[in-house]
Amino acid sequence: MNQTPLKHFRILAIALSAGGFGFVVMEGQRTIIEFGRRVADGDKNVQSIAKLEKLLDFYQPDVLVLQDVEAKGSRRYPRIKTLNRQVKRMAEKRKIKVKLISGKQLRSLLIGNPRGTKQEMAEMLASQFPDELASRLPAKRKLWKSEDSRMDIFDAMALAVVFNIDCSDSISDTADGR
Amino acid sequence: MSSPQLTNYLRTNRNRLALWQEETAFLLGFKGEDKGGKVCRDEKFTREPSLRSALAYEAIYGRSVRELFAGLYQQIEQEVAERAKLLTYRKAGNQNPKRHQALASLVSRVLHNPSQI
Repeated sequence: MNQTPLKHFRILAIALSAGGFGFVVMEGQRTIIEFGRRVADGDKNVQSIAKLEKLLDFYQPDVLVLQDVEAKGSRRYPRIKTLNRQVKRMAEKRKIKVKLISGKQLRSLLIGNPRGTKQEMAEMLASQFPDELASRLPAKRKLWKSEDSRMDIFDAMALAVVFNIDCSDSISDTADGR
Repeated sequence: MSSPQLTNYLRTNRNRLALWQEETAFLLGFKGEDKGGKVCRDEKFTREPSLRSALAYEAIYGRSVRELFAGLYQQIEQEVAERAKLLTYRKAGNQNPKRHQALASLVSRVLHNPSQI
């Protein structure tokens, strides 16, 4: 097995959303380097790409983790699907490995229920990373309210955690020595 | 697969302690209106902090300077090893075996096994 210490294995997880994107940078399985949210308005895709490029320049991740918006059953808005493809192309151009994880995979690996809710996932993540995330956990959404923007961070964190559970071994086994 | 460490982990540690840049700047003893900006520039690697500030960061975050500036340390460690290699080739009046051993271990330790913090 060609594994390097996980601490040096940096991933950037991106959760695209209507108002921009949430992101998490992790080294290894437990170390959160940075997390947050970038807002995009006007031409959202152009702005999101520009902001994402800055993150890629700064953190130089080994792997970019994205949601698989083309997966069966995914109902993401066409703009998000286009942006997802653009982000994927951009990462491949920079020779960064891209890992796509479907929403179903996220739910079944994180909470053991493919029909679980985002709130359940967020609560689970907040309990796993209490120092970083507990204070940012949004209150349970009322039916008549729109989703809290902080949920983007939890979506990105879910992608990062599932990547670490599911895929980090296979990625480090097929090291490309970038 | 392994990526080089980030030049510094100041931001990560500040977030860990839930401190604001302004607060960190105050603790570091920075003065002036833009004191938070100085912390920001340290974190974004656009400014290299002085030795006093580096040690103050260690005191604030409770992590060694070597850990806080991991990427920078790695880079400097490599440079030192390169220089040590040159020094081993040089004919010196000083033939002390301790010196020879120190240089050899520095070269082998650092060039073949850069620090893993």
